[in-house]
Amino acid sequence: MSNNIAKLSRRSFIKSSALSALALGALAACGSKESDDNAASTPANDAADTAAEEYTLVQEGKLIVASDLDFPPLDSFENSTPQGFDVDLSNEIAARLGLECEYLPPQDFDSIIPMIKQGGKADIGNSAFSITPERELEIDFTEPYLDSNLGVAVKKDLGISGGEEAIVNALNASDMTVAVQAGTTGEAWARENLPEATIVPLASVTVCMTGVSTGQYQAFCADLPVIGHQCTVSFTDCEIALEIPTGEQYGIVVSKDNPGLTAAINKALADMEADGTMDELKSKWFGE
Amino acid sequence: MTHDKRLGKTRFAALVTTLVLALTFLFPTGAFALTTNKATARPNEKGGSGVIGGLDTRLTWEGTVEGGEQVSSIVLTLPGNGSFDGASTKITALEGLSRANVEGEATAAGNTLTVDFSEPVSEGLLLRLEVEGMRFPSEGGDIVVSGTYVNQSGEQQLADSKPIKTIANTALQQMVAALDASPAVEAWNSNPFLGMFFKPQLMLTALFSLVPGWLLCLMIVVIAYPFAIILGLIFALMKISKHPLLRGIAIVYINILRGTPLFLQIYIMFFGLPMMNINIDNNVLGVIVIAINASAYLAEIFRAGIQSIPQGQYEAASSLGMSYFQTMFSIILPQTVRRVIPTVTSDFITSYKDTSLLSSVGVMELMMFSKNLTSVSGNMTPYVAAAIFYLVVTLPLIKVVTIVENRMAHAERGGGHRPKAKTAAAQGDSQDESSAAGTAVHAEALEPEASTMGSALTSLSPATAQEV
Repeated sequence: MSNNIAKLSRRSFIKSSALSALALGALAACGSKESDDNAASTPANDAADTAAEEYTLVQEGKLIVASDLDFPPLDSFENSTPQGFDVDLSNEIAARLGLECEYLPPQDFDSIIPMIKQGGKADIGNSAFSITPERELEIDFTEPYLDSNLGVAVKKDLGISGGEEAIVNALNASDMTVAVQAGTTGEAWARENLPEATIVPLASVTVCMTGVSTGQYQAFCADLPVIGHQCTVSFTDCEIALEIPTGEQYGIVVSKDNPGLTAAINKALADMEADGTMDELKSKWFGE
Repeated sequence: MTHDKRLGKTRFAALVTTLVLALTFLFPTGAFALTTNKATARPNEKGGSGVIGGLDTRLTWEGTVEGGEQVSSIVLTLPGNGSFDGASTKITALEGLSRANVEGEATAAGNTLTVDFSEPVSEGLLLRLEVEGMRFPSEGGDIVVSGTYVNQSGEQQLADSKPIKTIANTALQQMVAALDASPAVEAWNSNPFLGMFFKPQLMLTALFSLVPGWLLCLMIVVIAYPFAIILGLIFALMKISKHPLLRGIAIVYINILRGTPLFLQIYIMFFGLPMMNINIDNNVLGVIVIAINASAYLAEIFRAGIQSIPQGQYEAASSLGMSYFQTMFSIILPQTVRRVIPTVTSDFITSYKDTSLLSSVGVMELMMFSKNLTSVSGNMTPYVAAAIFYLVVTLPLIKVVTIVENRMAHAERGGGHRPKAKTAAAQGDSQDESSAAGTAVHAEALEPEASTMGSALTSLSPATAQEV
């Protein structure tokens, strides 16, 4: 067994070095032609495309997924089974790649990107990751599969109201404590837009919402679908105070050493979009 | 600046611009067909929340296209030596909360950024420009993002954004920049393990920015511990008392607190108390949780310590006509203290480390600061820096425990700590004691005063311990 893994990783090493050499070559060739950074990404993608289906996995025949599984309706862990939109998506992708989908137990959200970057534990991270340039420095994203926005939840009796600006101003005060899930775009938004408030990064959505519900924190900033779900299903004493249009998009996290897998997933995503599977999934989990 | 350039180009443009400017002054906000909603910058101070000029950060600019308008391009302008060079721009257009399909190309030239849309952006859309890798003027200050835009009737002035607070570069950030530039550091970071856990730049910033969290940890445990000792002692005495009710209360208290994870106790206190409308400051609550938790462990340590004192001591004390409390406080407990010091120190170390669990409920202690840094950087180095802060306190304490334990073992073997006039002196130089033991006993025998009764009884303990 261990021998097998050793062989696999050696093979994967050769493959990944070959791939990175290819990508580097493409980059270098491009760099000599023109210095525009954006243009460089296209040939590199082409290199990945030609190497499509040539990817490495932690365990042969299995697509191992890391997720925090605490982000309903996207990810949840009900009765010890992963559930949600992202989970169905992972299963569908794995099926289309001819692999068996296996979820790791729930991981801390902020540990997933380092885990994928380091490799060896999971093949992909699929936990409602918004595509951001900072994250793209660490890992690769697949094409976006879902649009999202941010929202702020508060307790119903907090008594702030008004337009978007009035609410942001009310929250941006030194006596406000705003809970966020560590490492999320909600945290980044709060730090950028509420510099006066105390930002408290916590491990899970449930802890954040419990804190808001008990008055420990005044507000919780996170992805709008999740906030909406929490306020209607679990914490009915809370409400959405603010909808923040950010137009962010979710992508699946893949290691930079594994461009073949990114390409393969992109193909699966495009197929799902084309044959209507994606719409089915969306209506299953988000209604409409 | 752009404005001046264009003036030179054509008269027509000049005319339009003046007209627009005049209109702008006449109708301060209503005249903008593209209203500036906001401009914010991502904090780029490592381990802090400031926006530093001259260093890469991200500018988020938002504007709404008003009714009846179509915007075909936008120019954003920064004052001073602010720069968009090398920045990448993400263009998002939203109609309400859903994305609209808008494509465009951004070109940066010094302090201006021009965004040309492939098709004019129609009314009612919220335009969001995220410019990653831009730099504010290096001298800092309140920065206003201004600019122009083009609609169907020509170029218009953009409303100034609210000022963004920025600061000049700090000495720490300059050191970090120096590390960034060093090839040796780059080579070090290219190793995945070293780069992930021991990145020098982050280590430096973390060591500085974790200090407030470290002080809070120390403060919590230092304040909590005396309370824990008092509580622990009370419950220890209750547990060995003959009164069944007192004993029962102590047993329940100790067993529940020792038998459940501290994590759970923290959650119950932090989320449970507010539900009962008891609102206490987070830090105070932290002190209370740590004190209560430690008191249960200390109670057991004290109980074991008290019960390890041989029965002969009680008998000797009562033969002198001492009451229970006299016996306890002047005979038994002083001897217990000496015996429990190593275990209590270990427990102190545990409590100090346990403060890390308070980060899960938002107490701004050491782990919280490291978690902040880690979530911003995606790197584990801040946790290693936190480990250093824990070790700074725990290593010396562990050393103390070892020394005390060695001395005690030495004394148990009969090597030291013979009866002597002053017990305090005996602890200081137990090494020399073995040779001078004979004289010490002699001296003790010559001083039959009541004040030395305690130490006289102490001298009995090794002998009685062997008998029992």
